[in-house]
Amino acid sequence: MLILSRKVQESIVIDGRIVVKVVRIDGDQVKLGIEAPNSVPVHRQEIYDEIQRSNREALTSTRPALPRLSPQPLASAPPEPGATTVKLQTPVKTTTPKNLEDSNGY
Amino acid sequence: MNHSADHTDSTLEVKPDNIVHLPLGLLGFEDHKQYVLLAQAEETPFLWLQMLEAPHQAFLVIPPTHVSADYQPELGQEDVEFLGLEAPEDAWVLNIVTLRPSGEATVNLKGPIVLNRKTLKGKQVIPLNATECALRHPLGAA
Repeated sequence: MLILSRKVQESIVIDGRIVVKVVRIDGDQVKLGIEAPNSVPVHRQEIYDEIQRSNREALTSTRPALPRLSPQPLASAPPEPGATTVKLQTPVKTTTPKNLEDSNGY
Repeated sequence: MNHSADHTDSTLEVKPDNIVHLPLGLLGFEDHKQYVLLAQAEETPFLWLQMLEAPHQAFLVIPPTHVSADYQPELGQEDVEFLGLEAPEDAWVLNIVTLRPSGEATVNLKGPIVLNRKTLKGKQVIPLNATECALRHPLGAA
């Protein structure tokens, strides 16, 4: 494993297109800002691992009997499945790099 | 119901308008980018997300409105841009169901598959509020 020392506000560049910046250090917590192309997914490792494991367990090569469920959505759900169940983060209309201080977690 | 048949016996034929493109694949299945979404009336509300190039391999998926009434994944700006979503209505959310040999069925609410209804481009996203979402939400419990 390559190990580099960086100070706050210093960065590393990977493959000429991915920038990882140390934004803040607070005790044993390090805040990193990551700028990567849309085609490069960035995930926290433990979340990536658990979803990957869940996907592998869910993949099936048989067509099993399915649990019986009402074809109707649950009472307080929107009438059209999936229609209004997401919340979109408002795009930041700016030409400057995105705010790396943003503490939005998953 | 035939318990041993594979997914190729579906009544829904593979055609361009039910082919789903996941440019990044699913987590752990990054090499599989093309899927076909299959639905049969008697299996409603479940759907099958079947690998286009491996028709014997499929994920059982379900719209989350049948799973949890208050589930609302929050999509980060990168995911919104990647999927080309212009409004929340453009998003079609499907969650992967795990059926275990014990008969237990759970739904992954932490890593939903979000499709753009207009383009059928999709991605397995990790919502901003993923920590509030269960990886194994029991099916049948609201």
